[in-house]
Amino acid sequence: MIEVRQLSKYFGDLAAIEDVTFSVPAGQIVGFLGPNGAGKSTTMRILTGFSTATRGTATVAGHEVHTEPLEVKRRVGYLPERVPLYEEMVVSGFLRYVAEVKGVARAERRGEVERVVERCGLQEMHHRLIGHLSKGYRQRVGLAQALVGSPPVLILDEPTVGLDPRQIVEIRQLIKGLGGEHTVLLSTHILPEVAMVCGRVVIIDRGHIVAEDSLANLAGRTLEEVFMAALTRERAAAS
Amino acid sequence: MRNTWAICKREFKAFFLTPIGYVVTGLVAVISGLAFSLQFLEYVRISQDPTANAFSSVPDFEEWLLSPFLLFCGTLIMFLSPLITMRLFAEERHRGTIELLLTHPLRDREIIFGKYAAALGMVLVLLLIVLVDLGIVFYFAEVEVAVLVFGLCTVFLMGAAFISMGLFISALTRNQITSGSLTFGASLLLFIVGTLGEDLPETNPAPGDWPQMLRTAAGFLHGVLRRLLLEVRLDAHARDMAQGILQPQDVAYYLLFCAFFLFLTFRALESRHWRS
Repeated sequence: MIEVRQLSKYFGDLAAIEDVTFSVPAGQIVGFLGPNGAGKSTTMRILTGFSTATRGTATVAGHEVHTEPLEVKRRVGYLPERVPLYEEMVVSGFLRYVAEVKGVARAERRGEVERVVERCGLQEMHHRLIGHLSKGYRQRVGLAQALVGSPPVLILDEPTVGLDPRQIVEIRQLIKGLGGEHTVLLSTHILPEVAMVCGRVVIIDRGHIVAEDSLANLAGRTLEEVFMAALTRERAAAS
Repeated sequence: MRNTWAICKREFKAFFLTPIGYVVTGLVAVISGLAFSLQFLEYVRISQDPTANAFSSVPDFEEWLLSPFLLFCGTLIMFLSPLITMRLFAEERHRGTIELLLTHPLRDREIIFGKYAAALGMVLVLLLIVLVDLGIVFYFAEVEVAVLVFGLCTVFLMGAAFISMGLFISALTRNQITSGSLTFGASLLLFIVGTLGEDLPETNPAPGDWPQMLRTAAGFLHGVLRRLLLEVRLDAHARDMAQGILQPQDVAYYLLFCAFFLFLTFRALESRHWRS
């Protein structure tokens, strides 16, 4: 569903990511794992068409992100890392606006908004101003706007960061339920989260992919061991 | 088209979900109302005794009150347009919502025209407020409709021009204050640059002892510069139109002005693909 081939992005001389190659099979939830500043957000921003790669190709749902950005954007729901929202709008008004720009037919908009509101547990916050919401509810609104229009691919950048333990559990449950129906690429630097939610893992460090495997293939080793081994191997090779 | 409308609606509502819409409309209501009342009272005073005020008869209402007042409103909108445009793109950048805007299935033109249309909607709201002042006069007196219609069109075109420039400047920055101040400065510059043109001598300023060829070249350059300064002035093209005299070059000036800055806005938004 997502095919990334030798993707590189430079900021001046600095390589944010270099020759990144991986794929995400349809219907799976894939964890995109790496320490802070490894290039997770950069990769996701390219996949969603927000920024442009210096080199390489990326195909999402059969469309190349650089040559057919509009087709890709129609098929991707994206939750950016900082969860930017229009704070002066109320939740339902904002979601209706998102449904409109995502091309949901007028007659179906109300139903679609109700569906995502229910799915993300926002029923009680329906008429609240987004600017007045707590971090956890803002995160849900961000997730809800990604789900509007039921895009086949979801790209979620650190969806559980900054939430309290109960909220983390709820959001994880929610994401887990999205598998099968949606293809999900989810970035995080919390290892247990991947083990709980994802079927497959891609590990990135300092702009390079260091491991890609399904969790079942880890064969008894904990994710932590795999992660640390991959990082040391990569860093030894680099020095 | 549907997406342009969606963006436009959201932007327009945002003006009135934040204080900025009320600030702008309130300022226009107070200032234009006050200016109109003062000018009107002055007109009444002169009309009661024209000869004492160096007029042979009652001065023409359209020429002495309506057109100058409409031009004043255009200038007022110039001063307030930075408040309307400063947030359009700068706020999206600052809050990060630009990341949503640019990853939703929208074309650049839908985003730009949607935001431009919303800001033009604000200008229309301001015109409606100005119309309230004028409406009171029409109730009591007969006024040339052409002057009024073209006058309002003039104010609208002036507003559209300032807004297009503000939209472009907003697309360059992530700070609303920077965006607003730059727009304000640029509008003011466009205004006073015409005065500079008027100060330049009409004849060739090159000294007589220069070689003939050099003199001709200097004269030509000076002429072009002087014309350019006089023409670029934003209110220069408004004067005739506000009197009800419609000339194609005046309308073309404003339309080209808007087209130029909209074009630059497209390039500014597009620059995200090649700037790192």
